[in-house]
Amino acid sequence: MSTQLKHLSISLLVMAIFTIPLYFSTPYLIDFFLNPQKYIEFGSLFVSYSVSDIQILILSITFYTLIVLVGYIVYLLATASTRAELVSNYQNKDLLASKFELEELYENAPVPYLTIDKEAEIIGCNKSALRFFGVVPEEIKTKNFFAYASEEDVDLAKKFFNFYKSDVPINKKEIRIRTKKGDSKWVSLSIFLTKDSVTKEKNGLVTVFDITDQKNLDQAKTEFVSLASHQLRTPLATIKWYVEMLNSNQLGQLNEKQMEYLNKMYSVNTEMIDLVDILLNVSRVEIGTLKVEKQSVNVPEIIDGILVELASQIDKKKINFNKKYNDGLTKIESDPRLLRIIIQNLITNAIKYNKDGGSVDIEIKNKFGMGQGSIIISDTGLGIPKEDQDKIFTKLFRAGNVKDVGSSQSTGLGLYLVKSIIESLGGSISFRSAEGAGSTFTLEL
Amino acid sequence: MEIQNTTNQSDSISEDTNANPALKKKILIIDDDENLTTVLVDKLNFSGFDTDFSNDSVAGLQKAIDTKPDAILLDVKMPNMSGWELLEKLRVDAWGEKVRVIMLTSLDKPESVAHAMEQGSTVFIVKTNYTLDQIVDKVKEVLLVK
Repeated sequence: MSTQLKHLSISLLVMAIFTIPLYFSTPYLIDFFLNPQKYIEFGSLFVSYSVSDIQILILSITFYTLIVLVGYIVYLLATASTRAELVSNYQNKDLLASKFELEELYENAPVPYLTIDKEAEIIGCNKSALRFFGVVPEEIKTKNFFAYASEEDVDLAKKFFNFYKSDVPINKKEIRIRTKKGDSKWVSLSIFLTKDSVTKEKNGLVTVFDITDQKNLDQAKTEFVSLASHQLRTPLATIKWYVEMLNSNQLGQLNEKQMEYLNKMYSVNTEMIDLVDILLNVSRVEIGTLKVEKQSVNVPEIIDGILVELASQIDKKKINFNKKYNDGLTKIESDPRLLRIIIQNLITNAIKYNKDGGSVDIEIKNKFGMGQGSIIISDTGLGIPKEDQDKIFTKLFRAGNVKDVGSSQSTGLGLYLVKSIIESLGGSISFRSAEGAGSTFTLEL
Repeated sequence: MEIQNTTNQSDSISEDTNANPALKKKILIIDDDENLTTVLVDKLNFSGFDTDFSNDSVAGLQKAIDTKPDAILLDVKMPNMSGWELLEKLRVDAWGEKVRVIMLTSLDKPESVAHAMEQGSTVFIVKTNYTLDQIVDKVKEVLLVK
């Protein structure tokens, strides 16, 4: 505001300097223009006018205005450079302020930032980075950033260094970093390429986001599932084997009723084992620890293995199996263990919900010889009621017409698991069914 | 093999009341779970094997090297030393390098099977998936492999 006032006063002063003398000389000037002969000897060109006071006033105002304008223009011209300077000062101040803000942001950001030169030597870093590495600035500067990688990840660090050297930015790659204290920390590493403002040489802005806690949590989850798996399955295996031992008559003949009871124990225990398996697999899917390891899978081999396991159920219901495929031409690129879980669930369902003496068809189609294919499993069972068809892959859902199927235990997890697993394998599942007319499930892999 | 068996028999002859012990194959079971060990020992005895067991992995390794059984049923998850570590140590031994090992586990992780093969285990068994009869069959199968 004071600057504006200063400007105004300067303008007024300039105007005054120019206008006051002119103002006082105006009547004389007018008189000069109207009666030049009074001042100049040979003014015959001019005609004589009689002038009223009004005319003098109007002319005076015109002059005055003209003079003000001229004064202002002179002022503008005189102060142009000063104003340019002022404006640039303003801009510089803004720049300085934002530079300061940026520096503050960089320095105090909770994420460790480092700046590296074209050889990946550290030329700067923020407080967070110092805290992360547990060092003082002198210790870290001029060191090669990739030398901080943990021994386990030396090769990975070399790979990233080569990426950086060949101008490939690194985006959220996981690597372990060794701090000064000797701790190995998991970080999500990003390196963006920038240019040094002075030397114009290539620089890298490095972000090391500490993900150690997250990694530990993942580890804990995985350990929980494997612990649960061990602790639940060991007693089940123990029961299974003791019952089998009693049932084998090697310890003496049992009577019919005792045998019957033992058989019930055995089958309930088997159901329990299946349930534990399915629950563990569901939790693996849900906490994301399901590992997919694809390889060339011989699908008929998997199916044969499953049929052997289910032999007693197949015999009991007198199910007729039709394999509609060529054993030699059926390799599919997939994870054998996961594919086995999927197919086993579908075949078990096809038997469980089938009528006695029904049939199950299995068809395998290979596509383009590219390791892709589809597996089609159809049965002559209960089928899925129309109103339930959009819900059958939902967790814990059981179709209305299977809820009262005898002793068969259904958890409502099987198809949910099948769908989750096939999706993590990058495939899909679809089905066709009508109540009472069987179901056909198609796996696309 | 035969000579070793005979010597082993003479050590444990008091436990063994069956006839013709010299022809029996000796199986060592190393598993920290006593219940599982008991039923396995009984089943294998009934099936005509000579059995010995250890519920501790460190003692089990020593017993294996001392008594040189024909095959070892080895649990994976044990305190003190895991089955994998035991197998690694066993494979360093001149005799232990060749002994047939059946790994028993409650886990069904996909990497386990591959790992078992890498470590030189002959067979890998997921406990809940096998009946005792199937295990006996496996043991017989493994002993036939030369």
